[in-house]
Amino acid sequence: MPHNGFRKAVMAMAITYAAGLTTLAQADVIIGVAGPMTGGNAAFGEQFWRGAEQAAADINAAGGIDGEKITLIKADDACEPKQAVAVANRLVDSDNVVAVVGHFCSSSTIPASEVYDEAGIISITPGSTNPQVTERGLTGEFRMCGRDDQQGTIAGDYIVDTLKATKVAVIHDKDTYGQGLADATRAQLNKRGVKEVMYEGLTRGEKDFNALVTKIRASGADVVYFGGLHPEAGPLVRQMREQGVTAKFVSGDGIVTDELVGTAGGPQFVDGVLMTFGADPRLIPDGKAVIEKFRANGYEPEGYTLYSYASVQAIAAAFNGAGSTDGAEASQWLKSHPVQTVMGTKSFDEKGDLKVSDYVMYQWGADGKYKQL
Amino acid sequence: MSSPSIDLKKAVLDALMAGLLALVVFGPIVGVVLQGYAFQMEAGRVAWMVGVFMVGRLLLSVFLQTARGQRLLDSFEQTSGGVGVLPPGHKSRIKWVILTLIVLACIFPFFANKYLLTVVIFGLIYVLLGLGLNIVVGLAGLLDLGFVGFYAIGAYGLALGYEYLGLGFWTVLPLAAVTAALAGAILGFPVLRMHGDYLAIVTLGFGEIIRLVLNNWLSFTGGPNGMSAPAPTFFGLEFARRAKDGGTPYHEFFGVSYDADMKFLFIYAVLFVVVLLVLYIKHRLSRMPVGRAWEALREDEIACRAMGLNHVLVKLSAFMLGASTAGLAGVFFATYSGFVNPASFTFFESALILAIVVLGGMGSTVGVVIAAFVLTVTPELLRSFADYRVLLFGVLMVVMMIWKPRGLIRINRIGIAPRKGVAP
Amino acid sequence: MDAIFWQQMVNGLTLGAVYGLIAIGYTMVYGIIGMINFAHGEVYMVSAYLAAIAIALLGFFGIHSFPLVILGTLIFTIVVTGVYGFAIERIAYKPLRNSTRLAPLISAIGMSLILQNYVQLSQGARQQGIPTLLEGSLRLHIGDDFVQLTYTKVFILVAAVLGMLALTFIIQKTRLGRMCRATQQDRKMAQILGINTDRVISYVFIIGAAMAGLAGVLITLNYGTFDFYAGFIIGIKAFTAAVLGGIGSLPGAMLGGLILGIAEAQFSGMVNTDYKDVFSFSLLVLILIFRPQGLLGRPQVTKV
Repeated sequence: MPHNGFRKAVMAMAITYAAGLTTLAQADVIIGVAGPMTGGNAAFGEQFWRGAEQAAADINAAGGIDGEKITLIKADDACEPKQAVAVANRLVDSDNVVAVVGHFCSSSTIPASEVYDEAGIISITPGSTNPQVTERGLTGEFRMCGRDDQQGTIAGDYIVDTLKATKVAVIHDKDTYGQGLADATRAQLNKRGVKEVMYEGLTRGEKDFNALVTKIRASGADVVYFGGLHPEAGPLVRQMREQGVTAKFVSGDGIVTDELVGTAGGPQFVDGVLMTFGADPRLIPDGKAVIEKFRANGYEPEGYTLYSYASVQAIAAAFNGAGSTDGAEASQWLKSHPVQTVMGTKSFDEKGDLKVSDYVMYQWGADGKYKQL
Repeated sequence: MSSPSIDLKKAVLDALMAGLLALVVFGPIVGVVLQGYAFQMEAGRVAWMVGVFMVGRLLLSVFLQTARGQRLLDSFEQTSGGVGVLPPGHKSRIKWVILTLIVLACIFPFFANKYLLTVVIFGLIYVLLGLGLNIVVGLAGLLDLGFVGFYAIGAYGLALGYEYLGLGFWTVLPLAAVTAALAGAILGFPVLRMHGDYLAIVTLGFGEIIRLVLNNWLSFTGGPNGMSAPAPTFFGLEFARRAKDGGTPYHEFFGVSYDADMKFLFIYAVLFVVVLLVLYIKHRLSRMPVGRAWEALREDEIACRAMGLNHVLVKLSAFMLGASTAGLAGVFFATYSGFVNPASFTFFESALILAIVVLGGMGSTVGVVIAAFVLTVTPELLRSFADYRVLLFGVLMVVMMIWKPRGLIRINRIGIAPRKGVAP
Repeated sequence: MDAIFWQQMVNGLTLGAVYGLIAIGYTMVYGIIGMINFAHGEVYMVSAYLAAIAIALLGFFGIHSFPLVILGTLIFTIVVTGVYGFAIERIAYKPLRNSTRLAPLISAIGMSLILQNYVQLSQGARQQGIPTLLEGSLRLHIGDDFVQLTYTKVFILVAAVLGMLALTFIIQKTRLGRMCRATQQDRKMAQILGINTDRVISYVFIIGAAMAGLAGVLITLNYGTFDFYAGFIIGIKAFTAAVLGGIGSLPGAMLGGLILGIAEAQFSGMVNTDYKDVFSFSLLVLILIFRPQGLLGRPQVTKV
């Protein structure tokens, strides 16, 4: 009897093992989509997810990657470095992803990409613009957007040339992204001979910036440059207007979401706010059909939605081109071949940055919408 | 005792009241979900919740009127002493349990994958934290809501020591314990003379001050972006694919292939030894005069002072010991995650550690160990419930306080039988 | 320099008035049952959501005139928040009346976790906001500089003062107020004299929550945005205010609120905005160490 029991156990184990193998063999191409799905910046997480979801659906409808379907896994980092590392480990160790689209906040992307690199998988961030993201010599790290040094140059030049400002207050949120962007803009301003009248940080999650605004007013600034995200940008610009500060408000790609209007307390406060962002991908003819699909579902593909879509396309193209889901081979292929995406043809350099960046200025109107200038 | 008759009318009235209350409380927040400046009605959810509350209240009312319910009500713990006494000569089987656990812990890594290993390391870190806070809250009865501050001192001690002084894991480990204990002494000395509730708030303020300074001192701590912390070394050998500080990676030294799990395996081993050590020290201490003094002070401070106990010193010793344990845990946390930032040290973390102590039984070591694993490992395993984790913690804390304010596992002590003719 | 000072004075005054309103809840509960109601900050947070919901509902029914909207919002928010106060006391504190010293405090922490997560789960984790109800602002010229305060801020100051006056009237002149004061002086004696102290404690929780509800409406009007995490920091600040004024003392809470608000605003205006919370918490620690009875409180005597 005991002998029999043992044999049964071995049989059972063998069957489970075989079942495990077959599920592995049939496994889809699992891609993680990581970003702030909750918290103040959930709007960007939603853009990431919508874009990736649509891209995966379209690619799967067209036959998938080498006949295998793409499965997406949503991962929430809440724009929080600690959570980003935890979520990255989980994606790698227990979800067995072969690629990641994400993260959003540079401060999350930087520690998380170390985990992906250690695991040898490829990751593309649709929206992390801090230079450090691709400056650390990681093989599998790419980005579908520009860099803050490029963004800061455009913003700095615009402030000097078009706004003709001489007194600029530079505010940042102490985050890798926010401060990096503010520093890049400040560097460009200084290069053009404009010295900032004020340089200060604020705390993310805070709502009361009245003291800061009082200081801005006392500094006599005629332009306020803010490196940060919309949950802080909204109250800041509102409290400026409420205290009678009429200085122009300029920021970067951290505020490209309709939720800016909500956090500011109404479109009358965002009227005239300027920001830098990549040339509106919705105007590129390549993506017309895709954009129609989004709109048919009642979703406006704003901000980083199409960037996320393009990131999934790039991953699919790399896996198809390299003929495997191996991170090193795929990244080698991506760095040497241009990719057709919803935002036009994109090619990457040795670091994983886009070869061409296309930052332009946008302006928010009294109707609560932004337009390319 | 005659079985009491059930007053159904009262039960129904209770249920109606509960339903009305639930409607007012849940109606707006659950029923009207804000979407920008507009909203979306979710009447179904409200009806469902109100229904659950009414039925629940009805059943509870009826149940409490039965004999069994009465007994349950009576069994709710009252303010009796904090320690149970077992009959003299009671032989505890805890020795065998501990031995089994040690054996299990030793063979566990051979079967675990990396994910499981990291989860268990995480659990062990919280065991350490729970043990530390247990000395302060459970034994000495001082409510410390800023415990996470000492945890942060340990974690940042490693990150900062590495960044600015080039210190490694092994140097910082004892240093962090000492530093945290000193911080505890500096904070505790003026504060410990105060009334208990005030202590809670002062420590809460302290914990927040530490976090805010870490968050705002950009040039020194990296602010919200955090800083990286080194992995431990094994006699100078590093656990990385590429050596960072001119050292030798272990796999090159031993000529084996690189395995990323080795780092966690090593942390696990060291952490396990430290936890055992802390357990042992705590076990011995609670049987020494100072341990008895802690508990006596918790039960009746005025009586202790009347008997000439220096209450400030006794409390301070508990406070410092607890702090140093948290400092140790911080170093392990930093080396385990390889990265620290202020968001790891919010008030929620303090509340979680407190929940561990409360659930485990104030003062009970075994209870704390079990509770630490239950509260940290369960959310990892039941990931679909992750959203409800905080809610469950909260419910747990409230229910435990009502049901068993001294925790699931009471401290029991073996009684002493006075022998004839010998002074006890 | 002058303009900065006065502008921050105005900012600090509005902030302080709101701190004072919330501090009342802490101080009354502490005065009567000697516990820190840790969940009080979360009650304020709930009220911010209630205010936004009320405004959205009123807007849906086509009511847009400011006096009507604000009146409706205030009544709705204060009533529902009061019920929250009642329910919290019933569930989390009343069963613990005779328990260990730490039990109510831990239960209160549990309650605050519950409220936070409950709001997050039912309303989502994103930032919420309300439209600006009251446009325009006052501008006072000082030399060639000016101090500007919005009508919203003026409204906040007026409403906070009215709220405090109403509360003072209730406590000083009404039967309920006398019962509260009697219970605060000596609970056992009050009970012997025929006061239902359990009910009085319930009333105190309701009043405290209602004041937090008022504060919630006012702060939401001022900043326009809030999230489920907003209750924690402001709760500790209000508690600091209560301690500063002398915990257990009603005028102390109001005074403490104003002093803390102004001190914080002046600190951030003159020294540093980053460390204003550190400043407040350090103030709390220092007061508790050197003058635990606060400005208007009586020193505590340990009874054997």
